[in-house]
Amino acid sequence: MIFKMLKRLRFRNYRLSSKLIVTYIILTVIPMSLMGYISYWQYTKSIQEQLGEYMPRFLEQAGANIEKQMNEIVNLPELLYNSNDIIAILRRDHYQNQSDLLKDQFVVNSYMASTYLNGSNPNVLGVFLISKNRFFHSTRLNFSGFGLDTLPVPSGNDLDWQGKTKIILPNEVHLKFDGNVPYIMIMKQIQDFDNRKNMGTMFIAVRLKFIDEILRNFEKEDKAALWIMNKTGKILYHTDNNKIGSIDQEINQYPILNGSFRSNATDESRLVSVKEFSQYQWVLVHSIPLKYLTERTDLVRNITILMFLIFITITSIISIFFALKVTRPIKKLSGLMKYVEMGNFQVDLKIRSRDEVGMLARSFNSMVATTRELIEKNYYIEIKQKEAELYALQSQINPHFMYNTLETIGMAVEEGETGLVVEMVTLLGRMLRFSLSNKSKLVTIDEEVQHVRDYLTIQKIRFEDRVNFMIDPKIDIHLLYTPKFILQPIVENAIKHGLELRKGVHIQISINQEFGAGSGKQEIVFRIRDDGPGIPADKLAELNDLMRSEAFVAGDSGLGLRNVHARIALMFGADFGVQLDSLYGKGTEVIIRIPVYGGEQL
Amino acid sequence: MLRKAAVIFLILIVASGCQNPFQRDKYQVIYSMEKDNASKKQNNKHNYTIGIVPKLKGIPYFNAVEDGAREAAKELGVNVLYEGPQTADSDQQVKVIQDLIDKRVDVIAVSANDPQKLLPILITAKQQGIRVITWDSDTLAGGREFFINMVEPEMLGRHMMDTLAWNTDEKGEFAIMTGAPSASNLNEWIKWIKIQQQQYYPLMKLAEIAPTDDDSQKAYEVAKQLLKAHPHLAGIIGNSSVGPPAAAKAVKDTGKAGKVKVVGLSSPNVMRSYLHEGSAQIVTLWSPKKLGYLTVVLAENLLDGIPPHDGQEIDNVGNIRVNGDIVIMGEPLDFTKENVDQYDF
Repeated sequence: MIFKMLKRLRFRNYRLSSKLIVTYIILTVIPMSLMGYISYWQYTKSIQEQLGEYMPRFLEQAGANIEKQMNEIVNLPELLYNSNDIIAILRRDHYQNQSDLLKDQFVVNSYMASTYLNGSNPNVLGVFLISKNRFFHSTRLNFSGFGLDTLPVPSGNDLDWQGKTKIILPNEVHLKFDGNVPYIMIMKQIQDFDNRKNMGTMFIAVRLKFIDEILRNFEKEDKAALWIMNKTGKILYHTDNNKIGSIDQEINQYPILNGSFRSNATDESRLVSVKEFSQYQWVLVHSIPLKYLTERTDLVRNITILMFLIFITITSIISIFFALKVTRPIKKLSGLMKYVEMGNFQVDLKIRSRDEVGMLARSFNSMVATTRELIEKNYYIEIKQKEAELYALQSQINPHFMYNTLETIGMAVEEGETGLVVEMVTLLGRMLRFSLSNKSKLVTIDEEVQHVRDYLTIQKIRFEDRVNFMIDPKIDIHLLYTPKFILQPIVENAIKHGLELRKGVHIQISINQEFGAGSGKQEIVFRIRDDGPGIPADKLAELNDLMRSEAFVAGDSGLGLRNVHARIALMFGADFGVQLDSLYGKGTEVIIRIPVYGGEQL
Repeated sequence: MLRKAAVIFLILIVASGCQNPFQRDKYQVIYSMEKDNASKKQNNKHNYTIGIVPKLKGIPYFNAVEDGAREAAKELGVNVLYEGPQTADSDQQVKVIQDLIDKRVDVIAVSANDPQKLLPILITAKQQGIRVITWDSDTLAGGREFFINMVEPEMLGRHMMDTLAWNTDEKGEFAIMTGAPSASNLNEWIKWIKIQQQQYYPLMKLAEIAPTDDDSQKAYEVAKQLLKAHPHLAGIIGNSSVGPPAAAKAVKDTGKAGKVKVVGLSSPNVMRSYLHEGSAQIVTLWSPKKLGYLTVVLAENLLDGIPPHDGQEIDNVGNIRVNGDIVIMGEPLDFTKENVDQYDF
């Protein structure tokens, strides 16, 4: 069942119009949609790739700038070494009295104020120095939450960082500046290089604005997020200030830390570019939703899809219309063919276009017409042939002829002329056999001549000296063929008309092969001459015309001549046939032309 | 035919379908800048052995150097062999170096007692594939790759002359107590002391240069003899670390404290009491711990293929200067009775 349905669904079983429509759609819709799809896809891909390649480089550059600034900040503690007084204070670890301690604090605080806060870096918010249970500080803004008892590390002295710099995020200490200015802290141990000892720990709070400034200069796009985090995902800086200090859980899942990737982790796909900086163990991240990247492309895509749909609709309509236009005449043709198949040739395919279908229609029309003509012609010839045979038979069993012949035979019996009787009966019998036996249309000229001779011999016996004849074949008549009964009607006419008006008639039959001007070939020419009364000129022209005319009036006894002509013309074409020539009062000559037909051509 | 085309079409869609909702990788790398992260640091895991050879062992100055070298060795994770002769003698130093060569150390860093006598053994070491550098006291340039000098010799020599002149009102006789007479750094400084005196202090006169071979006992004897031989002596410059304490003690013991001024190169711990009493006035030095530390760091850098360069920042040391194949650690420190308590070496 299913197999059957599949079979029915097979393309080759579709109607031609469906095939055309399907093919057309396959050839236009599929490549177009495929091309559109691929080009859109490639285009968005290349945008992503370009940005994906460009962003890490930008991040590298931005990060290098940040690093440069950070290096400046990180190197700030070194400025302490410029002052031997400060180093001497830091090396000191016990005091005689409180005023000495306060004096040292004053010296250090004012040194830090003049060096750091009024120094070259405007982003320093404050400097704190913890050394041997002393707390020195100098800040730009009022602060709270930072002192000896709220250290970010258990003890500034105990930890051994080997002089390395640490970065402390705001949420790791309680330090707060007025106005909650976002900051990060640089923590660095102050080494006494000469004594190989640790003198204290310095904390420098830096406004995050400098990162902001660097990144804002590069990236003005609000839709993108830029942040800096350390390797554990802790965010040091974020374009969204609220996120500073939070942890980016995704960092461990990032496939790379130097480059770009597409992230489908959240609801919307994002293009994430990352760059890692080894010096501070930072990762700089730029993340932008893909839809903002491909905004313009999507507009183009939507327009393209719309155009595509419109175009497809139009072309589909055109293709359907066209397919139907092509198949309609073919359908019509097939209908007509069925009609013709049933035997009706009276059809006309009314298509006048000049294309292949028009040609087909014209061919069909002419084919049907030719077929019709041929059928009619064969039919016609058949009828004429039958009529001719009937006529010939009629003339042979013409009661008048039979009566006269039989009377002649009877008289001969009375007179006891046995030989003559035998001869006549023999001749009559042979004539009847010729008429009845041979069914084929063509006979050898010899047989035809034999038949005429028999007829004439009988007539000569009847009319004795009044009828004379001579047959003179100049060619070998045994091997050449002729239609049956072409000579007898002409001879009959000659005898009839000759005996009506004259005492006797002399008939001369010659058979020759000549070059025919009409056909341009050799042809066989029968000439039947008599010395009868002849035919008046106007009557002669009328007869010749009548013979050439299509009209055929059966049953007219005087028209054996025309019957002969018609049969020959039907069989061999208009170049052949019967021609009358007559001189009134002198006699008549009938010329019959037929093509040379040898036995091998039958 | 039609079905084939449909199949191909489907394959194309699926194959091109990065944005295809059916297959969404969570992350898809678009561009990677990842470099080959086989970093150089992993190569450092070789257990480097660095042989450090002082002029001699046992005096406070070279002990402090050893402290600094050990500190660096601990931080950098390298082996340090600190081997030196018992006396400041170049023949013994050659033996020590030969031992280190036999132990197949990676670097030998020498403070040379004699610039010439060590050359053959150092060249031998070089031929064995051992890197050679010098510190504190140089050899001839052919014997080592670079020399770690504490201070500019010209600056130091002139400064020692100055410190004495400040205390003697720029007049009077003075003597120099040096270490081994062949030690190149000491002789370089003496040269600059003389030049400074001739240029700026015509009223002063160099009476004698007495070698001590960096032996404390001998130095004390030398100082006493100097005081005896030159009764009008205004001051003594000790240009090796053994000199000033010996001179201060002799001055004190002979009751000439304050009359004969004592300056020179020595470490604060040794000189603290003499400075406080007034037996010595100013001593100059750098941090020998820092020198030991720097020597190990530079030796390790050398093995890692990083030669020292001018302005290089060394962790826990600061910036260094490089002039040709000579590294300058920094400026010298002056210790007086006011500030000597700040220092601990």
